[in-house]
Amino acid sequence: MSTSSTSSAPLPHRSVANIRTPSGAGQSGPSTPLRNISSSFSSPSSLRADDEIIIIEFGTRKLQVGFSGDAAPRGTIWFGPDQLRRAGDFRDWQLGYRYDWRSAAAGGSWARDYELWRYDVRSVDLGLVGDKVERALRDAFTKYMLIDSRPRRMVWVLPSSLPIPLLSAALDSVFTRFQPPTVSLLSSPLALAVGAGVRSALVVDLGWSETVVTSIYEYREVAAKRSIRGGRMLVEQTHNLLAKHLPQSAEGDADSQEHVLSFEECSDITSRLVWCKPHPTTGQEEEDAATRSATVRIPLTSWLSPTTLELPFDDLSEPCETAFFDTQYTLTSFDDDELPLHLLVYRSLLQLPLDVRATCMSRIIFTGGCSAVLGLRKRILDELSHLIQQRGWDPVRGKAVEKLLTNPKLQRPPAAARRSHNNPETAPPAQENVGEERDGVWHDHDHSAAPAASYMEPEPDPIEEQLKRGSGSGSGSGSDQRTSVRGELRVIESVGAWSGASLATHLKTMAVATIDREVWLQHGATGASKPSEVDHKVQRQSLGPGGLMRGSAAGGAWTLGVWGSV
Amino acid sequence: MATAFTPYSYIQCPCSDITPTDRRSGGSPTTPEPDDDDRAFDPRAPRSSFSLYPLEYLMYCEDCHQIRCPRCVAEEIVTYYCPNCLFECPVCVGPLAVTSVETKPDPNLLAAPDNSAAPLAGPYALTCSYCLWTSTEVGIQFDKPNGIHAQLAKLRNGGTTRLTAKERKERRKDPSYKAQPPPPDSQDLDHEAQFANLKAFYQGQLADPNTADAGLALLGDLGFSSPTSLSRIMSIYTGGSLLHDKKAKTRLGAMREALDPDEGLLVASLDESAAISKLRSEGLDGTASTAQLVGQPPNMVEPPLHGNERFLDTLRPVPHLLRTKRSKRCPVCRHIISKPESKVQTTRFRIRLVAGSYIPSISIRQLALSSGTGSGTSASGPAVPGAPLEPLKPAHFLLTFKNPIFETIKVTLGAPATTPGRFASRVTVLCPEFEVDANTDVWDEALKNNAERDRELRRRRGESVSANSGGISSANQLEVGKIWERGRNWVSIVVEVVPASLALAPGNPPLREDEDVLEIPMFVRVEWEAEMAGDEVGAAPSRSNSEAREKRELAYWCVLGVGRIRQR
Repeated sequence: MSTSSTSSAPLPHRSVANIRTPSGAGQSGPSTPLRNISSSFSSPSSLRADDEIIIIEFGTRKLQVGFSGDAAPRGTIWFGPDQLRRAGDFRDWQLGYRYDWRSAAAGGSWARDYELWRYDVRSVDLGLVGDKVERALRDAFTKYMLIDSRPRRMVWVLPSSLPIPLLSAALDSVFTRFQPPTVSLLSSPLALAVGAGVRSALVVDLGWSETVVTSIYEYREVAAKRSIRGGRMLVEQTHNLLAKHLPQSAEGDADSQEHVLSFEECSDITSRLVWCKPHPTTGQEEEDAATRSATVRIPLTSWLSPTTLELPFDDLSEPCETAFFDTQYTLTSFDDDELPLHLLVYRSLLQLPLDVRATCMSRIIFTGGCSAVLGLRKRILDELSHLIQQRGWDPVRGKAVEKLLTNPKLQRPPAAARRSHNNPETAPPAQENVGEERDGVWHDHDHSAAPAASYMEPEPDPIEEQLKRGSGSGSGSGSDQRTSVRGELRVIESVGAWSGASLATHLKTMAVATIDREVWLQHGATGASKPSEVDHKVQRQSLGPGGLMRGSAAGGAWTLGVWGSV
Repeated sequence: MATAFTPYSYIQCPCSDITPTDRRSGGSPTTPEPDDDDRAFDPRAPRSSFSLYPLEYLMYCEDCHQIRCPRCVAEEIVTYYCPNCLFECPVCVGPLAVTSVETKPDPNLLAAPDNSAAPLAGPYALTCSYCLWTSTEVGIQFDKPNGIHAQLAKLRNGGTTRLTAKERKERRKDPSYKAQPPPPDSQDLDHEAQFANLKAFYQGQLADPNTADAGLALLGDLGFSSPTSLSRIMSIYTGGSLLHDKKAKTRLGAMREALDPDEGLLVASLDESAAISKLRSEGLDGTASTAQLVGQPPNMVEPPLHGNERFLDTLRPVPHLLRTKRSKRCPVCRHIISKPESKVQTTRFRIRLVAGSYIPSISIRQLALSSGTGSGTSASGPAVPGAPLEPLKPAHFLLTFKNPIFETIKVTLGAPATTPGRFASRVTVLCPEFEVDANTDVWDEALKNNAERDRELRRRRGESVSANSGGISSANQLEVGKIWERGRNWVSIVVEVVPASLALAPGNPPLREDEDVLEIPMFVRVEWEAEMAGDEVGAAPSRSNSEAREKRELAYWCVLGVGRIRQR
């Protein structure tokens, strides 16, 4: 959904108000707009010291808040059951008080109190989401930001797959309680790309509720693939591992759905001890043989009686293995929503056009809470390159393909050569712009059409040309002559979505979707137009100043950007 | 759980009634069907915890005559202050003191770090006097005993120094450094530096006039050098045909990517086998707990950690957060309702309109009726205060409404017949409508002339069966519509509850925390007459000259927690 809504969009997801100029500005020469700039985004001279923009990054389990231009958020608020208490309820501090997680976890809400929302909005109390957001923000503002309650503009960094009801609940709550004049929405993969200094990237968000692989090309989200293998699953697996090693308790059966340990404890152990085994082919087992017998002592307090487990250290890589890779099953046995991570990344790359793929694969960004699992990032990358070596970039697999390949009657180059030819690691991808689905029918690369295409002139890339021109005219240092890396697997670091958004906002870029408080309070999410509708309008309006004025008088159309419309 | 239960009352601020989520029509299919007016407030709903406040948390706006809760006041900062100008221990959040590393047997060291610095030279460290953590454990030592924050910003864990963003910038400008191009070790690029490099890079890209379209470059001379105004104008004139991007800076079309660490590009190193073997050897004890990690500020001085932050030796001393004193305003009429003294040391308030001095307080006691011993109205009957309530056995509670204002108030109570939630207890308010006398001065009462006092007393007697406030006669039976007891500015009424049985049908989820507490939602309406001008602060006698007076009312939900129901 995010792909279709953004790819064709020319300009103006933002409201017309931002580009509004008084009538007559259009004809009377370019000097007038400067004087009449009405938008607060517009000119550098309008930089006011007190006009600080608040940047909020929403995650499923935490909220990060800070000022634009800062390198890091001022504060992080984690969601937890103590946040759900009434004001003046200090039982946490009472001597001998213990959070009764068993009764709270009843009915399958083991982890729910630790989350802001679940994407399955059927079971979510939207008002509660709004309340949680409000309380967390109020805490953050008072504790970390030390700001008063004057209205301030906000920029929200959100996962682009956030359902509209949740977004709308959060917006409702914030617009009524904090009165920000505008809230701009930025998608977090985009902010990550900005924070890494690249225009295209493959963002692998190892998040809490799911893992999302988003492909960004020229600052646009072109594709996203998801898998439910995320932090929640990892903590569940850790719980199962610990429960398996507990002495058989009264309730006995280890397979039951009941949790025997508290979420807090399992989450703590997960973040402290769980690690990821390296890819088997990298062969580090031998040297570790001496330390193989290492064990870890884990004290547990939330079981029936406090106890201490002693686990082999190697066992602690099991949760990661099951949660993210499930190597004991064949790759074909997974549903679309539970692909193992390496396959997920591979498929995300595979579905991209060749050119985009070449650019994205050398700009992989790992983010999200589970990227802190030691060794996981390397493992994913190793598995991924293994997959690429094994399969090349051929989406067609199966017995028939093998037969076709091995059929001696068809004269084909050996499969290995073919793969290496297709592999963007060795071939310049721009030359290969064959377009795998040129006419809806699958064409192999070495089909008869391919040679002809490969002799064709590559499409001119206006951006590259401009860059070349810029460097040719001696704009900057000689650094511009360096070409960017493409076609090889490479992982880069980003300063993070929050910091990326801070950077973008500091540089006064315009957000995709900027929502005006008044308009939102009037219409809510239903007022948002489809991005495509707005595009047409603004395009038409921008032809003449009269149309422009009409548009702004009507309140201006606005959209929720990648978050779609109702 | 075993501790005795203290009855409590919570008040729901009326501001939470105007929840915006009710307005939404098409946005969410999950919002419940439109609620009618007589919907009872459910204290069990998870949302209620966000709108309920103890009376002490609430303020009152004298001009709007409305309760103001922490959610519906506008705050302004009076002053900032530092609770303790040092650091917190990352392990136990105790305060850290600067001590010399060369430990001399000087007991003054821990007590007065700043003074003791003078005699002792040499490196210093931060030490926690509680858990004995010192910053030498993470390899951080300081040259000077003061300016710790600035020194800390330049140090990585392990003692290696780093360049702050400013120094990097200066270094970049410095020709002597520029001459010898040092390929900066990419691992040296910490968060702050990467951010700064990226910022510089983007700014350079955006400001570079050559990156703009040549045709528009001349606009820069006309004052459009700002990239956004440029792009804005471009978007107007070109109709967006050339500029397919949603971010303004890409609309320039020619911004390139960062290419090296100096521009903020950092290639990740994925080899974490060292960290894994470290984890293997150190085990759980070498890692920081979740609480400790949450307390850590964002690590600005290290390259991206990606899981290495779990190790104890990456912990950093936590700077104390500044605190603020805040004044509060009514968001509607902008009047100040609370204003503390700006001096940090004083705890006094200049203005403080707490709700407790405007709306009646409710206190709850259990009433022992069955015994009939006549031991008094106090709850010192056979029912031990705080003891669990027997299910399905009627219990009586005495609600005492105390009037803080100087007018007589009329109180109307409404409570649902059964409490909401899974366990519906029956509730009967025996006297839902009554008047509470004004909060006159105690001395006024004593000095009133006799006739008036007699009349007063008679009036009180007329309503309550036995005005003998000391004891409880056998005639003092529960009577519907009668006040139990009345005093100078308070009235007690009786609420009868029949607690529900907590027996669960098999298969139902177990009791949630506090689900066994019998909570009564009660709608309170307070009416009184006040002087027009709104300065009812003066002790006006209850005699009324009704021309200059206006009727006021205040209505809100409150929640009375009366006791726990015994579980079998």
